[in-house]
Amino acid sequence: MKFDLDAVFVEHGCAGSALATRVLRAIPRDVPVTCVADNETREAARPASGARDPFGAGKRRLVIARRKTPFLMPCPAGSTKFACCGYLVLTLASNCPMDCSYCFLQEYLADNPAFQVYANFADSFDELDRLAGNARGRNFRVGTGELADSLAFDSITAISRDLIDFFAARENLTLELKTKTDEIENLLGVDPRGRVLVSWTLSPDAVYRSSERLTASPAARIAAARAVLEAGYRVAFHLDPLIAYPGAERDYIRLIDELIDVVPPKQISFISMGGLRMTPRLRGAARSRFPSDPMLCGEDVLAPDGRFRAFTPLRLSLYRTLAERFRKAGAEIPAYLCMEPASVHEHVFGAEPVRPATIGERLARG
Amino acid sequence: MNADEIEAQIRTIADERRLSPSHLMRWLAMDPESRVALLDIARALRLRTGQLVTALDTLDEIAVREQILVAAVLDRLEIRRIATGPGSAPSRASALLEALRTLRYPRLKKMQEQLRAEVSALKLPRGISIDLPKELGSDELTVSLRVRSAAELAHLLEALDRSRAGLTRIIEMLGGKK
Repeated sequence: MKFDLDAVFVEHGCAGSALATRVLRAIPRDVPVTCVADNETREAARPASGARDPFGAGKRRLVIARRKTPFLMPCPAGSTKFACCGYLVLTLASNCPMDCSYCFLQEYLADNPAFQVYANFADSFDELDRLAGNARGRNFRVGTGELADSLAFDSITAISRDLIDFFAARENLTLELKTKTDEIENLLGVDPRGRVLVSWTLSPDAVYRSSERLTASPAARIAAARAVLEAGYRVAFHLDPLIAYPGAERDYIRLIDELIDVVPPKQISFISMGGLRMTPRLRGAARSRFPSDPMLCGEDVLAPDGRFRAFTPLRLSLYRTLAERFRKAGAEIPAYLCMEPASVHEHVFGAEPVRPATIGERLARG
Repeated sequence: MNADEIEAQIRTIADERRLSPSHLMRWLAMDPESRVALLDIARALRLRTGQLVTALDTLDEIAVREQILVAAVLDRLEIRRIATGPGSAPSRASALLEALRTLRYPRLKKMQEQLRAEVSALKLPRGISIDLPKELGSDELTVSLRVRSAAELAHLLEALDRSRAGLTRIIEMLGGKK
């Protein structure tokens, strides 16, 4: 296990679950474990009210609980204002042991910051089978990396193996494991049968050093991508958030060059890009937790969607430069923009975006 | 002045301006040199509450962006000129905030100037107004016509048509084209 835990809380009804057994076997002996009555985990795991950084403290408190709401949902970033990618989110965990200064979970999970993993995660397979069964002939891309990093705690939960086994046997479902780690050991011994893609959020070294605490270095992420590619996985990359700091263009191009030196462009399933965007509340929380991070003090202005973003020509210029760099790489890498309106797609790619269902289908099929 | 005296004076000015406790704490948390530099300029320009809050926020962000002290920002020539220059305190206070904003958003300011120059170069007749998006927060250009007759409308549409290339260039600049 690469991340420290201060405490583990197990919901009473999950105490004998396979997941709890795996976790309790894998964590260091000195991590205190508390069994908590059902429905009381949130309060039990809540960091002390006087904690200097309750959100940061919550990340080191692991909760094993039963999920009572559906696991599968449309991507919460989706909106009629944006051209979306048809991504479906499978929530098997909530929060992340890494601590990126810009992370939206600082707002999204502010009231419930403990790191939760759901012992009844296998129930999600029924939801997935219903989805696939109700839409035969369609392909879906389903990811576990929206409210948590897909692999951050995989060394103690090993959920990836269950997921890969499930998806490997489904013709019209593709699993996306999204991560900033290099925790790929569990993946290397399983055959994904082309149904699993592993994606990395990539940032230049300057962003990694300034803003991405406890994550694997960009070079380590790229090396991990190469390793899973050789093990039969598809790979994809998210340049998201793109941060338009002075020198960003040079650094992102260098990052792309480093990437395509190691991972052949033809073998990249897709690239996504998304400029840093922060609601005023998130910006306040992030600045308060990371007051000296220059990446949080970009030339951001309030955009029509109520989020702070790098002013439009600056952000779009960066998108265009990077899209052009990928085009010059010599392969048609499917690309999309996250949380941007259709007009921005037109500026960057020279064409209107396709419908979410269509792009979702394309990205799922590869 | 020793540190205690400086803190007392900061607290006095914060009290007079009814500065929020969080802003006062941020001011007091600055290094000694920066504390004094801000105190001096707040007094010299008689910054009002809102202006003091904006100055604190903007100075903090410039200092973080550039990894320098607030005192170093306030020691820049363009800021010192405002602090010690001619003019009334209120006009210099406004000039200070504008100068700080330029330091905080250098590329935005430059791009706004370029775009305004492009709009101005179109030399469009009265009755046509071209509005850039607020703070360049979107790619939407607003073109408005004010007419009172069909002939006037025809005249303005012709003028717009003649400016098609220039307008296209402005839209492309908003869309990130260099």
